Amino acid sequence: MTAIWYVVGFAFAGVSFVFLTIGFAWLISHRNRGDIHKGLPYESGIDTYGDTHARFGLSFYIYALLFVAFDIEVVFIYLWAIAFRDLLLGGFVSMLIFVAILLLGLAYAWRKGVLTWR
Amino acid sequence: MTVVGRAWNRLTLPGKLVFTIVPFLLVGAIVVIALVVIFGQLVLDILAANLPIVRFAVAATAVLLMSVPTAFLIIYMEMKVIALMNLRVGPDRVGPYGSLLSVVHGLKVLMKEDFTPTGADRIVFTLAPVVVYLASVMSLLVIPFAPGLFGQDLNVGLLYFFAVGGLSVVGLLMAGWSSFNKYSLLGGLRSAAQIISYEIQLTLSVVGVLILAGTMSLNQIVLHQSGSFLDWFAFKQPLGLLIFFIAATAEANRTPFDLTEADSEIVAGFATEYSGMRFGFFFFAEYVNVFIMSALLVTLFFGGWTAPFDWPWPVHVDLNPGALGVGLLFLLALAPLVGTIVLAAPFWIARSSMPTWQALIIGFVLFNLLVGLGVFALAFLGWEWVVGLFWFLGKTYAFVFTFVWMRGTLPRVRIDQLMGFAWKWLLPASLLNLFVTAGAIVALGR
Repeated sequence: MTAIWYVVGFAFAGVSFVFLTIGFAWLISHRNRGDIHKGLPYESGIDTYGDTHARFGLSFYIYALLFVAFDIEVVFIYLWAIAFRDLLLGGFVSMLIFVAILLLGLAYAWRKGVLTWR
Repeated sequence: MTVVGRAWNRLTLPGKLVFTIVPFLLVGAIVVIALVVIFGQLVLDILAANLPIVRFAVAATAVLLMSVPTAFLIIYMEMKVIALMNLRVGPDRVGPYGSLLSVVHGLKVLMKEDFTPTGADRIVFTLAPVVVYLASVMSLLVIPFAPGLFGQDLNVGLLYFFAVGGLSVVGLLMAGWSSFNKYSLLGGLRSAAQIISYEIQLTLSVVGVLILAGTMSLNQIVLHQSGSFLDWFAFKQPLGLLIFFIAATAEANRTPFDLTEADSEIVAGFATEYSGMRFGFFFFAEYVNVFIMSALLVTLFFGGWTAPFDWPWPVHVDLNPGALGVGLLFLLALAPLVGTIVLAAPFWIARSSMPTWQALIIGFVLFNLLVGLGVFALAFLGWEWVVGLFWFLGKTYAFVFTFVWMRGTLPRVRIDQLMGFAWKWLLPASLLNLFVTAGAIVALGR
């Protein structure tokens, strides 16, 4: 239980390091408000056109869904791998079934053409 | 105007600075000495009572501060090595062989204007580099640098490593969304898609190592590989190593998978609107990531801090400097003087055109190098952690060099090739590696 506090403490130290550096840079750096053009988004020199938060491809979303499925799988596989010396054949077969079910999903996505970037 | 006032006006700016700071330093030193005399024993007692926390605080500070020079060194390596591969000279002005150029770049970034665009979401825009930098630096906590030299030995070390490393996706998405820029949005989404796709292969490829070692603690994994270099997991998990290396390249956004910063397509990706120190932290995080990925590769597959072979001539260093008594004082006082003159003499005699002071400087530098080498050799033979650090950093920087080498050699892939390769080839291959390893253990019964 103490280990989590070490991690939290380290995260706190890291955040304060970054903010101290950014604050120091803010103190010593040059600042200029500029005119209205300075704050415009950079689009290779021309004024911005249309909605900036534009529509983007659906494939990003589907990859994220696939990622969630397989990343949860990885958490289970890690625990299984640590205990594998005690499970042996039974563990091997059950993990084979578990992964086969997930691979079914991957095969379905593959057949649907989701994995091909468009 | 008084005499003091006139003398003060004649000083240059650095002189004024020195004369302003020195009194403060003197007062500060006196206060510190007084505090140590009064409270020293009390503080020591408190520290001794909380030894694990003190040890952790020192280790965490060291790890945190280590990330900056590491990034500087890798940036310099990248500039110089790629220049030499392109038959250019590369940086050669600032410092010996241009080695201080990346430090100067860092200082420049520190002093640049830190601008927030008008349309940006200010809070998220400021927090994004913090999250990205933290995600890479926090991974350093569990990496074992040498025996007894690590931030914290978590029993879920590897899982913690991947969990914290995965946080960088959040930071990249934050940066891309809050910038209010089409390039940033596309770049952020691209990085997120790439990193989450290769994250699975990265985490699955090490399952073979986990099965063989039976633990997630990185220290224990290193100890499992101690012995000769034939015990390294690289020889038991060649496919896992290959998948891990490819996925690590993609995870660290290195060529050939550097689509997130494909400057010819989407300017600078998620970092387009960033400037000043907030851009600097993105930049640092990228190079710290290269170091971390190399370090993890070495830890998991190449034996971490273990030496590839035993030192063939066992030596027992048994020095007791206290035995010299007063002679030690004379040695400390006279050795630099005599050493400098002896080492300077050949230069002074052989080259009559060289001024005496230059020969003396060369002699002094040579003397320091020799003493440094001697001290290192003694420490290498006598202290376990110096040996460990030597081998660990040696192996790690060999892989950092490989990453730089790939950048100097390979072209960039297309995004459809990138995603297709991850899901159609690497994922089945890493599952295959997993089951072959598990099946071999079941079949061999050990």
